[in-house]
Amino acid sequence: MPDVHEFSIADALATQVLRHVPAHGRVHEVEIRVGALRGLEPAAMEMCWDAVTHDTPLAGSVLVMDIRPWSLTCPTCGRVWESPVPFADCTCGEVAPRPTATDELDLVSMTVEDEDGDEDEGPVAAATPDGGAEAGERAS
Amino acid sequence: MSGTVRTTRLPIAERVLEVNDQLAEGVRADLARRGIFAIDLIGAPGSGKTALLEATLQRLQGRRRPAVLVGDLATRRDGDRLARWCDRVVQISTGEGCHLEAGQVRDALGQLDLDGVDLLFIENVGNLICPVGFDLGQSAKVGLFSLTEGDDKAAKHPYLVTAADVILLNKIDLAPYLTFDRAGFEADVRQLNPTVPILGISATTGEGFDAWLGWLERSSA
Repeated sequence: MPDVHEFSIADALATQVLRHVPAHGRVHEVEIRVGALRGLEPAAMEMCWDAVTHDTPLAGSVLVMDIRPWSLTCPTCGRVWESPVPFADCTCGEVAPRPTATDELDLVSMTVEDEDGDEDEGPVAAATPDGGAEAGERAS
Repeated sequence: MSGTVRTTRLPIAERVLEVNDQLAEGVRADLARRGIFAIDLIGAPGSGKTALLEATLQRLQGRRRPAVLVGDLATRRDGDRLARWCDRVVQISTGEGCHLEAGQVRDALGQLDLDGVDLLFIENVGNLICPVGFDLGQSAKVGLFSLTEGDDKAAKHPYLVTAADVILLNKIDLAPYLTFDRAGFEADVRQLNPTVPILGISATTGEGFDAWLGWLERSSA
């Protein structure tokens, strides 16, 4: 296992998502929400996601990351704002705003493709759709 | 119909590390039932985690009944060092894993006779990021930094600083030879975690150990 925490998280996430994949579904997109405390690097996470999903029914799926930012509170003027980094000066000149962030790491949703009967290259054979899909339709 | 792809968005709303979290709650409940206070010790490679535990175990002899779990990538060296001071040590070899997980702690505890044990030290794998996000069922997290790592380490690792119940700054005996800005380090910690105790120590000379052992006694009382 590579020594990056993105790999551990991607690995746990893939295991979790696979438990939810319907028998007939190809996973198009997986959406997660991540608090800034987790220090997740999106580029590293994408690379690890591609690596851990290779040769699985999740291969080729897009990982959508909603990274919740830091919240900075200025002790001088009281301004509160969001920031991608924990240390930033306030517009009033204060150099030590108080940073807070969350550490949630949640699987929010997945989007499953149902292809109409075509043979495809995916590891999960396309089966007859059950007609339950209602969320969207797009040209491929 | 060829070429048309229908998509269904399935809301899930689950914690990604739910399996680990459930195992950790099991460990926490078991330790609480046994009256064991558990420390998850997190620090960078070379920060002095094993040296800290050696010096701590030495001073606790006859006062407490500790057990130790030590995560190491490949060797038994840390476990062998600690076994000099404690007869309940389990080495967890993590291979290439960069952190301990709750299942490993549960399994390692199963190898120990915990009768009479009142204190558990878990030396995590040397790493300032990965271990923080994995609950092990600990009672407290100890964040270990050292002067030789540089004074910007706390600012660069906000998750550990915010999650820690106490911050130890090791190797303060080396201060005369280094340019470590201790006030700046402590200001960064304070900005992220205004109430966490920051204790300067030297695992080599024992400086600061009265405060560290005092914190340990109060927290585990």
